[in-house]
Formats: sequence, C-alpha cells, structure tokens
Amino acid sequence: MKRKLSIAFIGFLLVVSCGKDKDQTPEFDKGEMLAQIADNVILPAYQGFSVEVTALEASLNAFHATPTAENLQVLRDQWKNTARSWQHVKLFNFGPAMDYALKTSVGIFPCDTALIQSNITAGSYDLNAATNASAAGLFALDYLLFQGNTLSASQNNANYRAYCLAVTQKIKSEVSNVLNAWGSFRSTFIASTGNESTSMFSMLVNDYCQDYEEAKTAKLGIPIGKYSLDILQPQYIEARYSGFSLDLLYESMTVLRDVYRGIGPNGVNGVGFDDYLIALDKSTLDQNIVNNYNSILSDISSFSGTLETEMQNNLPALNALFTKISNQVIALKTDMTAAFGVLITYQDNDGD
Amino acid sequence: MLRYRPFETASLAPLVVFRLLFGALTLFGTVRFIANGWVQKMYINPAHFFGFYGFEWVRPLPGTWMYLPFILMLIGSLCILLGALYRWGAALFFLSFTYVELLDKTNYLNHYYFISLIGFLLIFLPANQHFSLDRKVGWVKEIDGKRWHTDLLKFQLGVVYFFAGIAKLNSDWLLDAQPLATWLQTHHHLPVVGDLMDEKWLAYTFSWFGCAYDLSIPFVLLSNRLRPFGYVLVVVFHLLTWLLFPIGVFPWVMIFSTLVFFSARFHEILLKTIGCRSIESKTNEKVESERYPLVRFGLITYLLFQLLVPIRHLLYPGHLFWHEEGFRFSWRVMLMHKEGYATFYVRDRKTKKTIEIKHSDFLTPIQLDQVVTQPDMLLQYAKIIYAHYNGRKLIFGNHTVVLNDPLVQAEVHVSLNGRPSQLFVSPEHDLAKLPYNLNHRTWIAPFQP
Repeated sequence: MKRKLSIAFIGFLLVVSCGKDKDQTPEFDKGEMLAQIADNVILPAYQGFSVEVTALEASLNAFHATPTAENLQVLRDQWKNTARSWQHVKLFNFGPAMDYALKTSVGIFPCDTALIQSNITAGSYDLNAATNASAAGLFALDYLLFQGNTLSASQNNANYRAYCLAVTQKIKSEVSNVLNAWGSFRSTFIASTGNESTSMFSMLVNDYCQDYEEAKTAKLGIPIGKYSLDILQPQYIEARYSGFSLDLLYESMTVLRDVYRGIGPNGVNGVGFDDYLIALDKSTLDQNIVNNYNSILSDISSFSGTLETEMQNNLPALNALFTKISNQVIALKTDMTAAFGVLITYQDNDGD
Repeated sequence: MLRYRPFETASLAPLVVFRLLFGALTLFGTVRFIANGWVQKMYINPAHFFGFYGFEWVRPLPGTWMYLPFILMLIGSLCILLGALYRWGAALFFLSFTYVELLDKTNYLNHYYFISLIGFLLIFLPANQHFSLDRKVGWVKEIDGKRWHTDLLKFQLGVVYFFAGIAKLNSDWLLDAQPLATWLQTHHHLPVVGDLMDEKWLAYTFSWFGCAYDLSIPFVLLSNRLRPFGYVLVVVFHLLTWLLFPIGVFPWVMIFSTLVFFSARFHEILLKTIGCRSIESKTNEKVESERYPLVRFGLITYLLFQLLVPIRHLLYPGHLFWHEEGFRFSWRVMLMHKEGYATFYVRDRKTKKTIEIKHSDFLTPIQLDQVVTQPDMLLQYAKIIYAHYNGRKLIFGNHTVVLNDPLVQAEVHVSLNGRPSQLFVSPEHDLAKLPYNLNHRTWIAPFQP
C-alpha cells in the first residue's frame, strides 16, 4: 500500500514538474500587477513629482526676481501642489528610493526651525549632512515659505533666499537621481514576484502597510495626543505653517486607496491588490477595505479648518477619525497580508 | 519476536558518516548565519528579549560580544567535523548553540531545537572512533560500537517525522488544505507550474501526501526492502519544500541526517571511498553481559521525554493553534499561517488618559511579527512595557507627567489559516498584572472556527 502511494506520489510530482496540462490562464498575475504598478503608478508618480519640483524651483526663482506678495502666493500654491504630489511618491520606499534615502531627504517633519535659522545666519551648511535632515526637504520649505515674515525676509536677506533655493534644488536633484535609477530598476522590480520578505512584491505590501500606519501615527495620532496621554502636540503637525495638514492626510489616504486598486496619478485603473483579493475569493474583504477608505476620506473632507484649529475646536471628531483609520489597519495588515501569504517582516530568515 | 538488545556490538560507520555530515552542515549553517548579518539583527539590535519560561536567566552578551557564542559554534562544528577533541567540541557546540536559542523565543524554529538535541546526543556517542584526528593522534581508546548508538539517532529522526505527521491530522490541514493553499498560490506566477499553484486540488494533494509521508517515512526507512525507495521520497520531498518555502538549511539537514537509516555496509563503503582505512565490518556481533544501568536509565529518560513533550498540549483546553499552549518543541511544522495586529495602550489608572505604544520603540520587526500572534509573548511584551513606563517621568512639550502603576492593555486581532481576522485579546484585560506561567490562558478571546 505504502509503495503504491509512493509511486502515485512520485508520478504526481513528475506531472507537476514536467507537465503543463492546462491552458487556462490564471485570473490574476502578480508579475502583471507589478508591471502595471510600475508603469501606471510608480513611474508617473515620480515623473509628476519631478515636474512639480521643477515648477517649484521656477516659481521660487520668479519670486526672488520679483519678490511681491502676488508671486509669493503663486509660490505657495506651487508648494502645495508639490507637497500633494509627494504623497504619491513616499509610499514606495524601496529600490532607488531606499538607496538614495529619498524619504529622509524630502519628507521629514516636523522641521527644526532653530537649526534652519542658524544655518541661514551662518550662510554655509551642508544640506546632505545627516544632521541637517530636519532642516531640509519639503517641510523646511513649509516653514520658510509660510512663516509670518517670508516676504520681508526674502526681500532683504540674501542668505534666506539662498537657503530656500538650496533646499529646493536638493529635492530636485534627489528626485531626479531616483527617477533615473528607476530606468534600470524597473525590470528588477517587475520580475521579483516571490513571497519571501526580500521580494519586491513583499516590499510593496510591507511599504504599503507602513505608509498607511505612518499616516495614522505621524499625520494624525501624534498631534492629537494619541501617543502622549491625550496631551495635544501641535509642534508635531505636518505642514503646520501652511495649515495644509488635513489636505495632505486626505491626499495620502486617496493615494493609498488608489494604489490598492491599482490606480495611478493618471487615473488608469490597472491591476492592484483588489484584483488579487478578488482572485483569492475575498471580495467581501475587498469591499470592506474600499468602503473604509471612502468613509475615511469623506470624514476628512468634512473638516473645514486646519488640523491645528480642529484640534482646539473639534477634537472628538478627530478622535473618531483616528479610530476609523486604526480599524482599517486590521483589514490591511491582518486579513489582506494573510490572504496574500507574504512575509510581513523586512528580513529574511530560516523558516520552519 | 526478537528482544531488542541495545548493547549489542554494532558498526560505528553510520555514526561516523553522520558526524561528518552534521559537522559540515553546522559549520556551513553558522557561517551562513553570521554572513547574513543575522547575529546583528536577531541578537544585537533588539532592546528586549523574550526568554523561555524557566530560562529567563539566560541573557544576551553585551553588543558585539554576541559574536562569541557563534565563534564557539564554529570551533565546536570544526571539532565535530574533524573528530578533534570531539566530545568537547560537541559539548561546546551544544552549549553555545542552545545558549543562543534560549535567548529569544522570537527565533524559535523546530529545526533549531532539532540541532540542539542532536548536538546534545553527539556528546554521548562515540562518533570519533574512525576517520578522526582523535584516533590518529591517539587521544581516544578504541571501543566497540553499540546498537543504541545509531538507533538513538534513528529514534530521534523518527520522532520528528512521526509527530509532524500526527500534528497534520487536523481539520485545517486535511479538510481545508490550509495553510498550504495560502502558501502555494503565492507561486502562481511561476513559469510552467504556475497555473497549478492556485489550484485547490494541488493544495489538497500536497497536504494529504505530506501527512502520509510524515507518518510513514520512519517505518519505510527502517525496512530494508523499502529504504532506497523511501530515501528517494525523502530527497524529493525536502527538495520540494526547499524550492517552495523559505525554510533555509532544514531540508538539507533532513536529507543528510536520514542517511543514518542505511546499513552499516553502505556507510562502510562510503567511508572507504573517501579514504577511511580503519573501518571494517563487524561480522561477529556479540551480546555483552554488562547491564550499563546508567546508560539504560539515561536512554529511557530521554525516550520518555521525547515521546511525552510533543503531546503535552493534551493537558490544555482550547484550540491548540489559537492558544498555542504546548505548541513549541513538538515538531509542529508549517501548520499555521497566522497574521495579527496588536495595539498596546498604557493608561493612567485614575484619569484613563492613554498612550498608544509605538512598537518600534520596543521591538524589532521580526519580534513584532512573532509577538502579535503568540499569547505568551503578548504577555511578556505587556510586562516589558509596564517596566518601561512605571514611575517614569514623561515629558510632552511643556507637560511633565509621571505614570505610577499604569494599566497596560491591548487590542489584538488575528487571522488564522485563511479565516477572517477575529478578536484575539480584548482591551479589557490589565495585561501587566496577569500571571506569566504555564497555566491555560483564559484572557485569550475564544476561537470562532
């Protein structure tokens, strides 16, 4: 009996390893998803951000040439567009973005205003130095362009102008490095479809979850006191000077929802996590996740003030929003990743 | 039926081959572990360690001193491989390896436990009788091999397979083909075989054959007639698991270890081929009159230990995969795909004001991954958090707060073997105050199948 079983087993293995006895195409292809995510989502996101940063530099130069209130307004609007565009980029913190530490050099908040001021006064600084990470990037510009006396400082202080330009140009060069490196990284990315923790598919799922948790923690939870015994922490608000925080939270959640569905900045709906879940017979979970996102987005858009004013006047609503955002993590990190069978940690190890 | 005579004289050739392979594998495994940077990641980076119950006194060495036990493992492996000061080398390997394994249950793997056990057994087995420096230099006297020397290893391997097979006799594995269905579909993109990988029948076939394989292979390997055939199965089975799942060197450990089931003749030829001259077949097997009471006692104790520890879960009520009481050290491999999400809170007892814990302040990613689904580790984590916050002065902007005897609570959701996630720990429990022991954990939410 054992022998018969074993013969059957061996025969079966031979069939598995040599035969493709079905010509039915799989309903879902991870490689195709990675290719579409790369071409429809990631590359357009980097290109879009690069365009916005170039436009930001142009408006900055225009403002410096003619430092009027009108030009400052143009510049500020362009900064907002750039910060919004950054939300599309920051999720993908692997490959070239990781190599160039793009997130650290562009997206750190809150910025260190004292350090920025002392750099400006000194007139010489190395923005590439790790110690200057919180004195550079988009949120240093949030302070530099939106603080009370930006107009007069830019008119009268050559060091101030030079610093704004240096910060902007550094962002520009970082993103162009990453964009260039993606030229050759694309093929690595779309070929890496395994479930081991070092595969790009796992990286994508992990970074996706991490970006979601960062939105929960850094954009909302920390300022509203969730990590500090309910003591409000306005000093940690993202984009505090422009008052653009809730817009950025909204944009970030929109990006998360869209990436989940395989939708890129150009609006094309490609293959995404949703299609994978549906192929795995998990359409209820998919529907839950989409509904949660829509409900979160509608809650965020119901706020009329800035995060800082809402913290003063409307804290219970922010707490309710935080709870809603927290509940979605369970669906993403527990149900979705369990269905995908990816290893959620960032390191490979001996398995069991 | 013939009475089993453990003290019958027997060839040591299988044991010598086993020694060579084991020494080479542990040498390779240790080098690989160091080269992959895992010493740093698993034993230097973590701020906290999750000791085993009763072994919390085993503490890591400071900083880069953690490389020391790994260097000792290398030396021990070399001693085993070369048969140089072999027993000391085996003891050194066993102690340094087991020390490292006891530091943090995050890194518990059944095959690490297996390596520990084999290291321990080798201390007592005269595997340096041939093809060794010890014999060449004359550091050991010649002794006869006994039947129990190789049979003990066969027993150990049999236990691993058989209990792994018993563990697969559960409804998730047999009736739902989980977690294999989840793991196999991740390969659906592979060329040629990809189409099959998300087929349900494949997961069922793998599950049922895997179970039958584990239960029957020790007996197949013991049978002279079926052995060569069984060994082909061993190689195919472990190569498949090696290809499909990220399980490191374990398949190779099993492929090489199971060679011990082959006859003395087979191993003698093998040894002669690689240049060992001293080995020769003992044709005049004789029974010794000596009783060896101490060896007898040791063997029986070890056998009972190996047979009883894997079934200790029977002492606990509740679902084994959910509560994980008596789960480790029982050869339960590849049985669960558990994903969880835990939110921990520190609360002021009076004001109920709350801090949500940022896990990265306490745990490495791989620790977090293990903690969120394992009850005993959740409790240990709660106590780590309590110890950190109790009486500590906290500064938030202009506010200074001291938390005395805070509440530590957690809300945990877990998904088991493809089921939708469900509540695992409810936030009503004051976790830091719950006893950490081996009793049934009633604070784990009941499992909804």
